[in-house]
Amino acid sequence: MVTIDEALVPGTDDRFARKRRKRNGKSATALIAQRAAGPVALLLAWWIVSATGLISERILPTPVAVFEAGANLIGNGELATHLLASAQRAGTGLFFGVIVGVLLALVTGLSRVGERLIDPNLQMLRAMPILALMPLAIVWLGIGETMKVSLVALGVMFPIYLNTHAAIRGADARFLDLAATAGLNKLQLIRHVTIPGALPGFFTGLRFSVAIAWLVLVVAEQTNATSGIGYLMTRARGLSQIDVIMVGLLVYAVLGLASDALVRIIERKVLSWRLTR
Amino acid sequence: MATDTVTPTPHATGKPTEARHATAETASRTTVKVRALSREFDGRGVLHDINFDIRDGEFVALLGRSGSGKSTLLRILARLDDEYTGTVQAPKRPAVAFQDSRLLPWKKVLANVMLGLPTRGVDGTETRARAEEMLAEVGLTDHAKAWPKTLSGGEAQRASLARALVRRPELLLMDEPFGALDALTRLRMHQLLRTLRQRHRPALLLVTHDIDEAILLADRVLVLTDGVLSLDLDIPFPVVGRRRRPGFTELRDRLLEELGVADDDR
Ligand SMILES: Nc1ncnc2c1ncn2[C@@H]1O[C@H](COP(=O)(O)OP(=O)(O)OP(=O)(O)O)[C@@H](O)[C@H]1O
Ligand SMILES: [Mg+2]
Repeated sequence: MVTIDEALVPGTDDRFARKRRKRNGKSATALIAQRAAGPVALLLAWWIVSATGLISERILPTPVAVFEAGANLIGNGELATHLLASAQRAGTGLFFGVIVGVLLALVTGLSRVGERLIDPNLQMLRAMPILALMPLAIVWLGIGETMKVSLVALGVMFPIYLNTHAAIRGADARFLDLAATAGLNKLQLIRHVTIPGALPGFFTGLRFSVAIAWLVLVVAEQTNATSGIGYLMTRARGLSQIDVIMVGLLVYAVLGLASDALVRIIERKVLSWRLTR
Repeated sequence: MATDTVTPTPHATGKPTEARHATAETASRTTVKVRALSREFDGRGVLHDINFDIRDGEFVALLGRSGSGKSTLLRILARLDDEYTGTVQAPKRPAVAFQDSRLLPWKKVLANVMLGLPTRGVDGTETRARAEEMLAEVGLTDHAKAWPKTLSGGEAQRASLARALVRRPELLLMDEPFGALDALTRLRMHQLLRTLRQRHRPALLLVTHDIDEAILLADRVLVLTDGVLSLDLDIPFPVVGRRRRPGFTELRDRLLEELGVADDDR
């Protein structure tokens, strides 16, 4: 059955977006229950197969065991230490990757010469899986922090660059005409038209970037690290602490979800003019 | 000038129009002067040897069927297109009201109206006051701090008009600015345009599909037919009460005929 809400094509008139959301809010509890049903069932299944001994505890520890291992790691402060180390690497890599990506996108987006010089190289590089660069990165940069942060930054840079560049190049020609008739000079054009118009593209890139930052970090931390969630998991593997490995996995999942949510919140704030609340 | 008979004075293309204006109002200066203007797109001629003037403060309506080249001509006058042949003299920075309201979605309404104008210092205070005044004139005071996406179509169009007029342009170019408005809002906009015109006296070129609108508002009507200026006609009526003038219907029929449409309802 098509309800009136569904019949409204989204995006045709954004002014109704909020109202639509509000009316859906009536059944919000039911929606949450439906969404939670899947994970709860999974957790239950896990509990049953592990607690009944259907799968050996050395392969799959019970949820309780994992919970205890997590509580233990939190209690002795180990989790906080490693979390901080990982977050610092991800944050630093993200910071530099975003800056470099945005700068490159501005150069190639605003100047045809810049585009011809830089864009083909980046398009070629992006075809390469970033993790395949690790051996080279280790030879060039060593096994320390520089290597890890650089790899994260490089991985982050591409989605930022590609999406921001495309957004600048795809600027609405009608707004460029408007800018010309309003007498904007080049700098004003960039400030009032180009950059705000490219922000949605930038945020799309940023969300990809955050996911990639964690991905690169997981792998980088498993080689020659002495701290970080990845190190924690590698060490646990050596000691056959499967419960700790699973705690690490859960932490990664939470980190991924939380950082994505954070970017969405910032995006909604910055792009509030889109009214897609 | 306000005679009660219709005196159509069609001009063949290429024939200068100055002589006629000189008799109507001696020593008036021209804001726009177009001579032998042609424009091609990929070898296909869209404008052919266009000649006309717009005097200071004159209100010219441009009629023409869809695809006849009206927007192309307007873009050239707006200096958005310079790939034409012939000569075009026009003020350096005419204000333009586009067919779509074209408000930047990421700027509040007031900021849109002030786009490209100084926002800081003494000049900034002055333009802000003027922009707010202009928003009041188009009835949008309450929406000054609203995002454009929250406006209705008519409100957006009025904001766009405010943006064009706040510049106090010598020349105002409008491409079917009222096309998307309902009849009532349209009447209000006509009234507004008359008032604003009396205050600021810009030369005005209004592209429209609406013959009544052209006759009711303009001093002169141009008709573009397949890229050729096929009619250049003074409106011989005083500013107000035009609809009740004898000769209104005849003028209307004359223009309909020029546009190749017969009005069955006469
Ligand atoms: N950039 C372009 N490239 C190629 N052809 C174009 C371009 N712009 C306009 N034309 C062509 O020029 C002709 C006139 O277009 P124009 O937009 O000036 O018409 P118009 O009189 O404004 O029509 P309407 O009343 O429908 O707005 C059309 O046939 C159109 O296809
Ligand atoms: Mg047009």
